[in-house]
Amino acid sequence: MSGSPPVRNARPTGRSRRPHRRWSPGRIAGASVLGSWAALFWFLLLSGRENLYLSARTSWVVPVGAVLLTAAALGRIATVRVESPEPLRTREAWVMGLMVVPVVLIMVLPPVTLGSFSAGKRTAYSGAGFATSVGNIVTGELTLVDVAAAQTSKEGEQALAKRAAEEVDFVGFVTRYADTPAYEFMLTRYVVTCCVADASVAQVRVVNVPPGKFDVNQWVEVKGQIYPLGREVIVNASDITNVAQPERPYLTP
Amino acid sequence: MADVLAPETDLREPPRIATLRTALAIVLLLVLAAAGLRLSSPQRVAWIQTFFVIFGSLVIQALPFVLVGAFAAAVIEVFIPVGMLERLAELPRPLQLPAAGLAGIALPICECGSVPVARRLIRKGLMPSAAVTFMLAAPIVNPVVVASTFVAYRSRTSLWTMVAGRFTLGLLVAIAVGWVVGHISQEDLLKPDPSEEPTAAVEPERREPRWRHFFLRMGNDFLFMGRFLVLGATLAAVVQTFLPSTITAKVAGLPILSILVMMALAFVLSLCSESDAFIAASFVQFAPSAQLAFLVFGPMVDFKLGALYAGTFRRGFLRTVVVAAAACTLVGTLWIQVIWG
Repeated sequence: MSGSPPVRNARPTGRSRRPHRRWSPGRIAGASVLGSWAALFWFLLLSGRENLYLSARTSWVVPVGAVLLTAAALGRIATVRVESPEPLRTREAWVMGLMVVPVVLIMVLPPVTLGSFSAGKRTAYSGAGFATSVGNIVTGELTLVDVAAAQTSKEGEQALAKRAAEEVDFVGFVTRYADTPAYEFMLTRYVVTCCVADASVAQVRVVNVPPGKFDVNQWVEVKGQIYPLGREVIVNASDITNVAQPERPYLTP
Repeated sequence: MADVLAPETDLREPPRIATLRTALAIVLLLVLAAAGLRLSSPQRVAWIQTFFVIFGSLVIQALPFVLVGAFAAAVIEVFIPVGMLERLAELPRPLQLPAAGLAGIALPICECGSVPVARRLIRKGLMPSAAVTFMLAAPIVNPVVVASTFVAYRSRTSLWTMVAGRFTLGLLVAIAVGWVVGHISQEDLLKPDPSEEPTAAVEPERREPRWRHFFLRMGNDFLFMGRFLVLGATLAAVVQTFLPSTITAKVAGLPILSILVMMALAFVLSLCSESDAFIAASFVQFAPSAQLAFLVFGPMVDFKLGALYAGTFRRGFLRTVVVAAAACTLVGTLWIQVIWG
């Protein structure tokens, strides 16, 4: 070839022809952060804990996130050896460390859900926009979502009123306010459409409760007759039993 | 070329470089924090438990979308030829902003993802005001958001007011804000972020193949945006943990105030545009116009975006966007209130 360089006497070795690559601290740090987030998403997926943060409608985000973050971390790892490694600034290193803090928080702490503390601070569930549930109120088995939906629309209230004195079976946790009598509690469940940040409250007042037997935040199954009274729904309990927290603690409309 | 501009003369002390000792200190602190959390069980305190759950849910839900945004930004940076974007700049000036806004239809990204894409577009030479219009419009006009708005309001009489109103008003407000931003230069708009400075730790080498360049860019953008998402989610979780909803419900009946309150609520809640319609739909005590304000203003300005903008753009940009977007949204939704009630 006319354009080829002149041949030297010393035969070049494979090592000398290949560029010498070294580890880049900045790239390693970035890959570590990505890898830790990928690990968190796999952890959520394998432990089923995504149900504590997301609704059934959006839980697909976790497997997708796990795969994408893993791909991003592996891609980043593949770039960590470079010819001239760039230094990593101390400030940037600490910021990357802070980005791992949420991973530590979520993985280390035991599984927790929204409890009674938030019940008075969050908006009541509105059934508007889920009008199909009015049909369920008329005929189907009543759920807490149906009851909550009925409380916020005239048609729903009327449909629910027709089912007065029917037997219901609800699962939720115990909530008490300052003015709640000892022989009553509010049976509460959060309705989550996307993630827990948008949780709204679905509640019924449970009466005929043995005083002092059920603690706040205790998950219970309440069986009894339902009595819709305008915008409030009362359940006259015939049986209340302690139950374990459901696998999906939040309801999806 | 913008990427090889010489850095400004900097008389400050050179930045301190992390050593192996720094890395070990960070790892040790993380391990100690984990052990401390495990032993002290802070989740037994009700407000801490609430904060952790809300913070975790916001981050877990939003982070994959940030990565998708970073992916799109890296694709634009590495694989899309500059010529394609220059075509947008070749349009007559009055058409550039609407075209940039409508370009958002092609990229199903949320507001977190649109910021790195806009930054990349500016770096690639797109007119900054057009990139801002794209950044604000894309989280509202993209098909995923239109579909989620439709699903959230499908049984309401206000269905088409909400779906078409959100699309149209979102586009108009984005164009207006882009127009307000005006003929600002790239250097005056963008803040240099550490990964893009010539002294950066993670700049791709000249001879690196495109796939390495792609992964590096994607990771850089994710790490840059991710820190602000964590900050924004922290603020949003604090507010959600302590703010009673009854306060907002009291003002729902007041016409202008209800719109302002819904805009403020959207700012505070910092929800993803792909999911916020479900939340807006649950505020039945508010008129459709107030809910529309929530859906238009929220994807443009909120806690986490404030942090993202502050990290991406120079001082003053956030103020411009807040004022212009709030004014335009208020006027637009008031008109809708007058016309449709």
